[in-house]
Amino acid sequence: MTDINSMPEAAQYRRPPEVVMKLARMGSFHQTRLSFMRTLLRRLKKEQWLFKRSLWEIDDDGFGRAVYTVTGPRRSYSLVAFSHDLPDHMRSDRVIATAWDASFTLFDGVPTTADLDRLEQNVPKQEAGRITDSELCLSRANRSVRLWKHVIENLAAGRQPDRALVESVGYLVRTTAVYGSGKFGAADRLTICNRAELSGPFQAEMLSVWLTRAFSIDLVESIARFIGGDKATTIDPDLRRRIGVGNATGLGMAPFLINHPALINNWMVAREEAIARVRSLSEASDEEVKDFKRHLALARFNVAQWHSEHSIQINKLAHLDADLKMMTSYVETESLVDNHPWDRFYRWSEQHLSLEGQEQLVSLMLEPYGALVDDLSQCMDADELQSFFIDGSMSIGQTLDIIQNHCQWAISVDYQQKVNRARFWYISAEKLEPRVGERFEEAGAEYEQPLCIGYFIHQMYQALRDWDPEKTIAEFLLVHPEHRHTTRRVQTLLTHPYSEIRDNVIAADMLPIDLLRCKLSFFGATKFDPRSDRWVRICMYQDAPYPHEMLAIAP
Amino acid sequence: MKDKYTLAEIEGYLRKAAQAVGLDWGIAEEAGKSARWLAAFGLPGPELMLAQLQQLEGKDYHNFIPDCRAGQWRAKSACLCPIITGAALADRATAMLEGGVIKLARVAHPLLLAATVGQAAHYHQTVFTTKWAGVSVHCFENGLSVEGNREDLLITEVDSATCRQGQASISLQIPSTLAYAVDTQIWAEIDRLAFRTYAPATAESRAGAGAGMIDND
Repeated sequence: MTDINSMPEAAQYRRPPEVVMKLARMGSFHQTRLSFMRTLLRRLKKEQWLFKRSLWEIDDDGFGRAVYTVTGPRRSYSLVAFSHDLPDHMRSDRVIATAWDASFTLFDGVPTTADLDRLEQNVPKQEAGRITDSELCLSRANRSVRLWKHVIENLAAGRQPDRALVESVGYLVRTTAVYGSGKFGAADRLTICNRAELSGPFQAEMLSVWLTRAFSIDLVESIARFIGGDKATTIDPDLRRRIGVGNATGLGMAPFLINHPALINNWMVAREEAIARVRSLSEASDEEVKDFKRHLALARFNVAQWHSEHSIQINKLAHLDADLKMMTSYVETESLVDNHPWDRFYRWSEQHLSLEGQEQLVSLMLEPYGALVDDLSQCMDADELQSFFIDGSMSIGQTLDIIQNHCQWAISVDYQQKVNRARFWYISAEKLEPRVGERFEEAGAEYEQPLCIGYFIHQMYQALRDWDPEKTIAEFLLVHPEHRHTTRRVQTLLTHPYSEIRDNVIAADMLPIDLLRCKLSFFGATKFDPRSDRWVRICMYQDAPYPHEMLAIAP
Repeated sequence: MKDKYTLAEIEGYLRKAAQAVGLDWGIAEEAGKSARWLAAFGLPGPELMLAQLQQLEGKDYHNFIPDCRAGQWRAKSACLCPIITGAALADRATAMLEGGVIKLARVAHPLLLAATVGQAAHYHQTVFTTKWAGVSVHCFENGLSVEGNREDLLITEVDSATCRQGQASISLQIPSTLAYAVDTQIWAEIDRLAFRTYAPATAESRAGAGAGMIDND
């Protein structure tokens, strides 16, 4: 097992949680080498997995079912895809939609015909259907109508689609939810957590989306072939790479980062340790500098193609564009060879770049150093049960010490001010999805979910100060069960200092998209395009290889 | 008729149901975990937890606070609640590690106590034994074994019970991750309670949470 501390000289370069765990910074994260999509593809390639489109029962209009199977050293996994005829007026990206252009499940193994028939009765219904222990994920996708039609019409006529349009949209289909781990009957997380290939976070979900991308290409080419006959062509491999899978994500994803403190800590620590390892290097080789410059140029290309219609992101992109220009000037004028080049560069960025730019730089800095940092991806899962347990023997005094040392961000807030408690998180009865409400304007605050950890810590701190510091937290909790949840969180901070977002998630100016961006960057998403302060469109796997390009075809 | 539910669903629904009857969030989380822990061994955690939650509905928490300093723990209520007592027990697990035996007066659904103790055993990587009537439940870091009369596992109330550190046993049962089947009507009741934690839809809750209703772009 990889040791997170195997490079002790890096410790002094690790950014503290007070710097990292801020919403504005988390909302500026970019994908890195440790992002879950990249971890998955590295493993599949290294272990020489096999790929096969094992079933294609799609009719001439593009409707029917298909199966894509990948096989590794120990097991096979299959994406089972169903393509449906969806009228335009029913096409919605909302999680509360009830019909989609396509629906999917990731099957544990290779499905039999009986499995497929069972799945066909359930997967297209998504939440209203039921899957079983044999399935790992449930998902659905809608077409990008403007690109879908354009690509099919052109391929059918024997032409390539318009490159600019392909690049500006970035995907043929957009997933609107990818459910895993025990949802709607799917196998429990424990089923897969001891399998090397799926033990890392969201590996099953990332595999499902990667195969969905292959399916989307096969589907448009198949329909174009039916329409155009012999005249039809396929997408040029180079242009095909520019097509990823879109995703629309709303508030549903936001509470995850708060509800999994030990896991989030491990994601953050792995990422921060990777950055620290690179910053701790006393010198860089010519080859490493060259590699960095190549990725910097790619980042500039990426930002030129990254469009957003939302004022917040438009502003951030303008800063990022300027930041990338400054980084380019920096590498042209400053030596990156010796004298701790990456640490110098990072410290310079803190003085000169926006948060978008600083976080872009740390992502780019990791690129030349796979051998140094990729092993950290093995430290990104968590035994959440271990940190769930409360140490009842801890004294009130020790508990107060943790709060004073780790939670100034919580106890220094004046919650008497309405702006500091303006929001509340709840789950809507209508679709069982998380929502954010305005506490002083809307009904429903009595349904508040326990996500405002800072406010809870503030309240517990006030209560604890009236107690004898020699007494145990067990005695306190017996009469104050309302602080039990918070005690768990506070104690977790001792061993998991990056477990809490050190910001106020119920403040009037809190932006839910910051939470979404952080999580999605860990997935490996790009092209974040917020459509409001609470939902975002992204692209996944753009420029990544396709299964048939990277893996040998199974017999 | 029975329907299968995943362990994740059992944990989530029972946690919400516990919150719906008035338990605070931290204890409700433990109630969800206990129901899940038992179901993983094929034991009726969801069913017993529901029965216990129904007993707690509308009652004052303070009547169930066990006096942990007494030679035998008891509360103002005639019968100890295994969820609230279980939390207090877990918080005092170090007393058992030091050789202490915790004695409980009349307690409801003692199997739910064993579930809490099981989680303490996982954390402390040891064996804790809960004993009542004619049965002992030994909880290991990652498993359990039942000794004695298995019918006593499902007792609804018992006059006394004890918890202590135990000895390793060879007849260890390890948890399964397979779905657990629950009677349709019992699950409907769990679902009804869980649903009470969701906010009724309002115009505001529908607006702005995600994409527009039609996305043909």
